[in-house]
Amino acid sequence: MKLLCVSCDTQMKLEETTGPVEGSLSVSFACPSCAHRIALLTNPGETQLVRALDVKIGGRSSPAEPWEFVRTMLAARGEDVGAREEGSTASAEPASRDFGETSASSVESLSRDAQAEGLGAGPRCPFSAVANRAAEAASLTWDPSAEKRLERVPDFIRPMARQGIERFAAERGFTRITEEVIDEVRGTLGF
Amino acid sequence: MKTYWDIVGDGGSNVAAQVEAQTARLRGRMAHVRRKVAVVSGKGGVGKSTVTANLAVALAMDGLRIGVLDADVNGPSMAKLLGVRGRPLRAGPDGILPPEGPMGIKVVSMDLLLPSDETPVAWHGPAQQESFIWRGMIEVNALREFLADTAWGELDLLLADLPPGADRISHLTGLLPDLTGCLVVTVPSEVSHLIVKKAVSAVRDARWAPTLGLVENMGRFTCKHCGAPEAMFPGGDTRAMATAMGIPFLGSIDFDPRLAAASDRGVPLVLSHPDTPAAEALVRIARTIHGWVEAV
Repeated sequence: MKLLCVSCDTQMKLEETTGPVEGSLSVSFACPSCAHRIALLTNPGETQLVRALDVKIGGRSSPAEPWEFVRTMLAARGEDVGAREEGSTASAEPASRDFGETSASSVESLSRDAQAEGLGAGPRCPFSAVANRAAEAASLTWDPSAEKRLERVPDFIRPMARQGIERFAAERGFTRITEEVIDEVRGTLGF
Repeated sequence: MKTYWDIVGDGGSNVAAQVEAQTARLRGRMAHVRRKVAVVSGKGGVGKSTVTANLAVALAMDGLRIGVLDADVNGPSMAKLLGVRGRPLRAGPDGILPPEGPMGIKVVSMDLLLPSDETPVAWHGPAQQESFIWRGMIEVNALREFLADTAWGELDLLLADLPPGADRISHLTGLLPDLTGCLVVTVPSEVSHLIVKKAVSAVRDARWAPTLGLVENMGRFTCKHCGAPEAMFPGGDTRAMATAMGIPFLGSIDFDPRLAAASDRGVPLVLSHPDTPAAEALVRIARTIHGWVEAV
């Protein structure tokens, strides 16, 4: 879409974008010749269409993080969506979801940012749960004897076995994988 | 008065430049993937995802570096089928590190982002009653991110498991204009053939991508009492259908309850029961696909 100042027959230039506030964006344009200004005001559906394109009118101030769009657009539960539909407010929309702008530099830090904004405490931010699991898995350590034991598992199935053991350990709150943990999980994985 | 086409530039909105940047990022990532094949079917419930998972493993066993994109955003199953469900996601310097399933298969699925079994794929939006307008765009952009922002590394083949519906192929070909081709899966029922024929025609007429071949799933089952093979569905002749449509018939996979059980455990049949007729058929089909990867 391009805006034309009819009086001057000159393309209008974007001046400022604000919002979304209550689902509406305000985009100001000015004519570089006569300084005439107009504002484009979107309804929630139009705002969502812009969002769905994963673009920010006026350009991004920082590069997109990996999977930023899908993580910020994904709703955790149907009732969250419903609540927004009934009476969404600007505060109900996480700032990081506004066209995906965020300064976080990794999956984990994105999650921390979300929590700092009060998004991660409840079910609204599904990614925080995923990131938490990532942190839990990262905190697991393998005893050398357990690692050696894992090496006895055939190559082709070893990654899956490792995953199963780590998952088993995480679910039970273990922080260290020992031979005893492997013994516990043996029945489940069948090796 | 000037028209749209008289005006150069977008007046500072920068939208076109952002879309171009997205495309460039995707192109750069996919430059490291030799072949991309979509597994499709107009019909749901034909076992397309199960076939995809088993072919992925069989191809990896053959030495290929395989990635699997679960392009069924709303009904993701690949994480479960390939045993990576619940695996943590980590960010690396080059993007999201995909969890690895059997044989080092890299898997990306919406399921990896959902916090529980019951969580549906729902998107934030101010006007849910009009979500049909924007939902498709969001899903395509989700797929774009899965493709472009994942640290796939060097792959010989990326298999994309699409949801039912011929129109969904256009979503992927919009993102992957160099799609090697489509692998079509059907069951030998007349109803399935009726729908799958339409999908094959749609792919051909729109020139989205070549149809590489037709796979028949659940062709026969073996009577557990007498051991005789019996047809699962009366009537449908999939080989004849392939011939009539001018596409290669790649093979028929027997119905085997162990296949479903293995899928539930996240261990594809070609690994858990490699000596079954169904697994052997899958391996034969995989070898044909391997030939395409090397020859196309």
